[in-house]
Amino acid sequence: MTGPNLYVHRRTSGPRAAAAWDRRQVLMNNLRTVLGRAFPRLIGLTREPSWLLFEVGLPFLTTSAFVLVYRALQAPSEYIGFVVVGGAMTAFWLNVIWMMAAQLYWEKDQGNLELYFTAPMDMMAVLFGMAIGGMLASCLRAAVVLVIGSVVYGVHFSVDQWLPLLAVFFLTLVALYGLGMMLASLFVLWGREAFHMTQLLQEPMYFVSGLNFPVGQLGFLGALAVALLPLAVGLDAMRQLAFAGGPIVFTTPPPGVEVLILVVMSVVFLGLARFCLRTMERLARHEGRLTARWR
Amino acid sequence: MSAESGTATAPGQRSSGGFDRSRADRGGPATTWRAFATSARLGWQMEANWTDPLLFFIYSVAKPLASALILVIMVQIVSGGGTGAAAARAFVVIGSALWAFVLAGVQGIAWSVLDDRERYRMLKYLYVSPSDFLVVLVGRGVARVAVGGMGAAITLVVGVLFLGVSFDPGRVDWGMAVVVMIGGLAAVVALGILMAAVCLQTRQESWSYPEAVAGALFLVVGAVFPLSVLPLPVQGVSLLLPLTWWMAGFRQAVFPATISSVGGDGSLFQALAGSATPDATTIVLALLATTVLVTLVTAVLFRFSERRAKDRGLIDRTTGS
Repeated sequence: MTGPNLYVHRRTSGPRAAAAWDRRQVLMNNLRTVLGRAFPRLIGLTREPSWLLFEVGLPFLTTSAFVLVYRALQAPSEYIGFVVVGGAMTAFWLNVIWMMAAQLYWEKDQGNLELYFTAPMDMMAVLFGMAIGGMLASCLRAAVVLVIGSVVYGVHFSVDQWLPLLAVFFLTLVALYGLGMMLASLFVLWGREAFHMTQLLQEPMYFVSGLNFPVGQLGFLGALAVALLPLAVGLDAMRQLAFAGGPIVFTTPPPGVEVLILVVMSVVFLGLARFCLRTMERLARHEGRLTARWR
Repeated sequence: MSAESGTATAPGQRSSGGFDRSRADRGGPATTWRAFATSARLGWQMEANWTDPLLFFIYSVAKPLASALILVIMVQIVSGGGTGAAAARAFVVIGSALWAFVLAGVQGIAWSVLDDRERYRMLKYLYVSPSDFLVVLVGRGVARVAVGGMGAAITLVVGVLFLGVSFDPGRVDWGMAVVVMIGGLAAVVALGILMAAVCLQTRQESWSYPEAVAGALFLVVGAVFPLSVLPLPVQGVSLLLPLTWWMAGFRQAVFPATISSVGGDGSLFQALAGSATPDATTIVLALLATTVLVTLVTAVLFRFSERRAKDRGLIDRTTGS
């Protein structure tokens, strides 16, 4: 029989004392949680290679359809570049809404959610692990859309400032995944509306974020999107930096301002995610929705 | 045993263990209709009963409407407000509206198999019920197509009222419109059942297959751009698909002022037929021929898939996908 101190590095007087972990233990436990949750997603990539076709081929088809619309309209080549960049960024957005926001809802349906909540780990660490695990596939998907799209459709980028472009990209990811964590907490409370919400977060979100056109063309709605949606502001800043000096006039704030907006969004969304997760966990426990499946 | 069921067992005939075999007969059209109506109602309930009707309506129309708006803005940015822009705008609005049927039909029917097998784990019970599984699936599909129809209708209404899509009821060829809609929706349901047959066999990523197929079809059926933009071999594939003729037929019947998706300068159709655009008869005949072809292929493949699924125990398999 194993002793009571198997999972702690110090001798304790009882279960309560054993449960009072120090900071190092909490940190190590959460790091293990991140790795543990990322592992199945990473190892899954090698076990079922068919994902390559559907995760990479599918978005390229959709991107191609929009490129061909611009070609049919004989639009300037910059617009085709906008579509390719937008197509690449959808990989991350789809990962955020399907594999983060909706993930806790699927876990609930499969009966895993209560196990997550009863395990001695922070849900933020679980979600962070999901993000890390999903990001590899999303990065590959985005890279393929970007490279093949650029080659096949002859997109020419004119990047003057690589560092700000990379900074905007990473800040956009932080803000997007922060938003995903926040949405995940809301999805815990939902039943089938979670699925419909993920649907609602696709095309309508693509529209207001200006996925295939400069978001400034939407006027007030575009300005609102830049202020509130990480996908909108991140995409716009990346386009301004990737197609610098082109004939397209952006009516949105310059990239420097949009970087600040992204920083604020990252902080706010991550803070709200932490707050919402705790609140929703409490509510879900209180209302007994953690085990309510197939609603 | 035969005494319990009230029937005598003839010498040499195996006893049915008190079970009335006639109850397992699938019966005639009345039974089929009942199975179809019940599954359609069940499908509708599953789609709609999770929320109040208004919210359900908003969720159902938001996606196709947003898709249309994306394309409208793209047209507006590039073409401005000229006559060409109005025609292009009408083209993309109609294509986006009709695409709502395709997404709902193809994805919906295939996902209903996955939902029942993987999520609700009811497929095996549905399968052993006396109804023909194909009839059940068609019923479920009709419910999904109806949901898609709401999105399509609202997109068209918004297009006509707010986006400058020209619509004159006096110029509508109602006969052709009815025929192409019936043919087109039959093709959509057939494609959905084809995908369901595929999803019965597959494991992980099954959820992505219908979307992948729909994405590929979106590229080749002239939904949001004319086929003449595509390379000639791809146009050849497009002309073999019923959805291509459905889109072209609906545009020609209901919105005759819009651009033809099949013909046009440099199109394969022009090279083959010698005329710039297909006439109504050509469209209807091509639609019916391709729909019949797709339906026959679907029926054969579905029965094959069903037999294979029974043999290999795939009906009650869960893959954790």
